[in-house]
Amino acid sequence: MCFLYLVAGEDNQIPFFRIIKMTLKRTLILCFLLLAIASAGAQSEENPLRIFGYFQNSLQQWTAFQERPKQNSFSLQQLNLLFQKDLGPSWTAFVNFEFLNNFSSSRQWGSFNLEEAWVKYRASMRFNLKFGLLVPIFNNLHEIKNRTPLLPYIIRPLAYETSFSEFIPIEVLTPVSAFAQAYGFFPAGEAKFDYAVYVGNSPNISNDPSRGQTGVDTTATFLFGGRLGLRYGDLKLGLSATYDKDNSAEDLADALNIARTELSAIPKMRFGGDLSYNFANFSFESEFIKVSLEKDAPKLERNLDFYYATLGYHFTEALFLYGSYWLLDSHAALPALPNEIKEKENDDIKVVTFGASYNMLDRVRLKVQFARIRLDEEELQLQPEMMVRRTEDDFSVFALAVSVTF
Amino acid sequence: MKIVIVTLLFLFSWAEASFSQVAVIAHKSVPVDTINKSELLDFYTADIKKWINGDRVIVNDLKPKGEVKKIFYKFLGKTPSRMKSIWLKSMLSGEGDPPEAMKSEEEMLQKIAATPGAIGFLSHTKVNNNVKTLIVIGKK
Repeated sequence: MCFLYLVAGEDNQIPFFRIIKMTLKRTLILCFLLLAIASAGAQSEENPLRIFGYFQNSLQQWTAFQERPKQNSFSLQQLNLLFQKDLGPSWTAFVNFEFLNNFSSSRQWGSFNLEEAWVKYRASMRFNLKFGLLVPIFNNLHEIKNRTPLLPYIIRPLAYETSFSEFIPIEVLTPVSAFAQAYGFFPAGEAKFDYAVYVGNSPNISNDPSRGQTGVDTTATFLFGGRLGLRYGDLKLGLSATYDKDNSAEDLADALNIARTELSAIPKMRFGGDLSYNFANFSFESEFIKVSLEKDAPKLERNLDFYYATLGYHFTEALFLYGSYWLLDSHAALPALPNEIKEKENDDIKVVTFGASYNMLDRVRLKVQFARIRLDEEELQLQPEMMVRRTEDDFSVFALAVSVTF
Repeated sequence: MKIVIVTLLFLFSWAEASFSQVAVIAHKSVPVDTINKSELLDFYTADIKKWINGDRVIVNDLKPKGEVKKIFYKFLGKTPSRMKSIWLKSMLSGEGDPPEAMKSEEEMLQKIAATPGAIGFLSHTKVNNNVKTLIVIGKK
């Protein structure tokens, strides 16, 4: 009940009924405003916007390799700000901003990315639908590759590690993003059969402002993909696959004296498999990823094979030790090129790594890791003369980190 | 004196035996009268978020590390650290929130009694008529 008193001055000659009408009008407006504010307040208390996130600070020492000298570096390796709001009983919105490598716009350090922005509808355990910018389900580690509090690693398995991106084609190995995904599971006794299907942009995203708008797909193709999996007790395994069309070979067109369109939209298949199992205090996880691009005319092939396996042991509830082996094998065949560089031999990157993580608190995780990396690389040089350069190198990385969830 | 000692020993062993029993309790409105390990694990890992009548499942945990919590997680077949990892993954992926952790068994009892759809666990000896017992875990 709202009351509004109108006080008339000595010189105010407003008729009585007009006073009543004005008072009633103001009262109704005020009541409406108060009701609207109260309603919004009640709604915001019921479904508040949650802001949370995590960050990882690290010290990394890299020994010298190729033309690079030894380097030590502290960095805020990664900070993710997460926003979540329940829009209704079955609807959730989620946004993930990511800051990398001591991000500073004024100093031009690091990068700032919009990693995810999606809305989810959950009908049941069997059917969920996500729309927006999302990380698609592919193998086991892909979804959580950037969730540093969940990983014992500081340097992640190669297919998921952005700090190796200058010699590892991460965006070829795994599907970066999707825009719509349906997923869920079907229970069968104590087993659960997982599925996920998704669609998104092809990898041909423009980052050249001279060609028009950046960040958008410049082709008429899509990425299609999915995963089928099984969970039974502490065992989880699955098979994943994606299909899209890739324009990355277009840059070879000039060297081959052919039109760029001859090397555009090359079909690319990705296959993946994952297996993880916890037994006693041991944990084992492994994955493979196989990527294949092939074109018949002109003949062109590119294959990437990635494997990793990690065996870990929980010494206590807080302390986890692990050893891991990673292998990336790359092969490209370009028969259309001159005889002496017709075919590149395998590129290999082999990594052996050991590490430990310790949960100081539920939300603070200390990590240490040592990795020995062997590079066997062949690079096709197109300019000033066409040739293949081969390099072999070994180097090590030692890293310490603290990962915090807030 | 011997009788006193024997009586005390008997009472102590009886109390300890009862304490090793953990009751999984729920609000009286939940549409089930019993639950098995698989269903309980589905609730606690957020694989299933609704009761069969469509009401939201509100899962609760106990903050203090003790015998009750140990027995409960042993029954689920997961270590507390593994459960925390599952909840953290769910939270950071936007798929769900970790359970609210009650500071004591008394607080757990009050919360479950007052919250439709709520489920939790505590020592069997502390259960009262304000909640529904779905299963009792542990040896008699």
